[in-house]
Amino acid sequence: MHLPDGFLSPQTYLPAYALCAGLWWLGLRRLKAQLDVDTLPRLAVLTALAFVLMMLAMPLPGGSTVHAAGIALLAVNFGVWTAFLAISLVLAMQALLFGMGGITALAVNALAMGLMGSVAAWLAWHGLRSVSEVAALILAGWVSVALPALLIALILGIQPAIAHDAAGRPLFFPFDLSVTLPAVMIPHVLVGLGEGLLTWLGTATLQRLQARHAA
Amino acid sequence: MKREHALLVLYLAAVIVTTVVHDPLSLGAGLVGLLLLAGRKAARLLARCLRVILVFNLAVSLGYLVLAHVHGFSPWETLLLINLRVLVLTLMSFLFIARVNLFRALDFSPTLTWLLGLAYSQALGFQRVHADFRLALSSRSIVRPGLRDRYRSSAAAAAWFMDKALATARESAHALRARGFFGD
Repeated sequence: MHLPDGFLSPQTYLPAYALCAGLWWLGLRRLKAQLDVDTLPRLAVLTALAFVLMMLAMPLPGGSTVHAAGIALLAVNFGVWTAFLAISLVLAMQALLFGMGGITALAVNALAMGLMGSVAAWLAWHGLRSVSEVAALILAGWVSVALPALLIALILGIQPAIAHDAAGRPLFFPFDLSVTLPAVMIPHVLVGLGEGLLTWLGTATLQRLQARHAA
Repeated sequence: MKREHALLVLYLAAVIVTTVVHDPLSLGAGLVGLLLLAGRKAARLLARCLRVILVFNLAVSLGYLVLAHVHGFSPWETLLLINLRVLVLTLMSFLFIARVNLFRALDFSPTLTWLLGLAYSQALGFQRVHADFRLALSSRSIVRPGLRDRYRSSAAAAAWFMDKALATARESAHALRARGFFGD
């Protein structure tokens, strides 16, 4: 889902970095406030888990594959701030250590996937869990993909309007909202269903494993 | 200021400059400069960059070509600018990764360095195991694995990674406690 380097104007990524820097600082401050012997290793290992979940291919009929994100799985089981920091760290690692993704897109990706995805998943889960735990987890997984995809489609689609030359030619991503909204949203609405199933089955597995590790 | 800190600041400044320059000639000169800086690794880094950006940039470029054809305008200047900028940014990032020890560059924050170090080492280990899982599935299958087999393999891998993550987090916490990390 995440944006590659070079398609966002500075008018977009610089304010996104300013906002994200504040949220990272706030998140780390909260983390330090509740710092105990379990906090840091758990965040580091969950980051690695999110990294590898993004590598796991979910096969589709016809031979192609899509990749899980694990955002809702982290948000529901470990909280929004942990999920936001872990996803941000994954994106930073991918951009700066593994050469995947991009430095100019890092903050927008972190805000869309890490923050919006986690908050949406957590709200969906909390809103619906009293009705049906399974439906709440599937919806949490779906919104954790669909809403960040919508934000990314909107951000990409406004690039021609906010960054163009005197002749009106786009300087960064060249397609407007009429192209980006269907192109990004249609596949992600479907991918979200897979993410919903992953969140449901992953949470069941995680709870079983946590009980076993605690014993 | 340490060398790594200076290079990090320089890299971030160069990234911003690359996105405020809209002249293909200047970006082309930047690309040549980066290739010269890469030295003997230039061809390999360039090939890696092209592999990374190929699919997305090709999709965007072909889509824009169709749009230009339908609406009757020339797409070439825009396509040259966009593709050149993406290539310069990607090459710059790969060169930075190859030349700079990121852990030293970020050591102004001990918590961040510690977190990144542990997460990175775990991610490397998980990445290796993930490759092993893929190889195990293909080496144990006489014909290409079907959809159900691939689902089961992915699910088993995900469950293994979750189990390992929980166990590693507990082990790391015990190791920190044993070494008096929190002074208790």
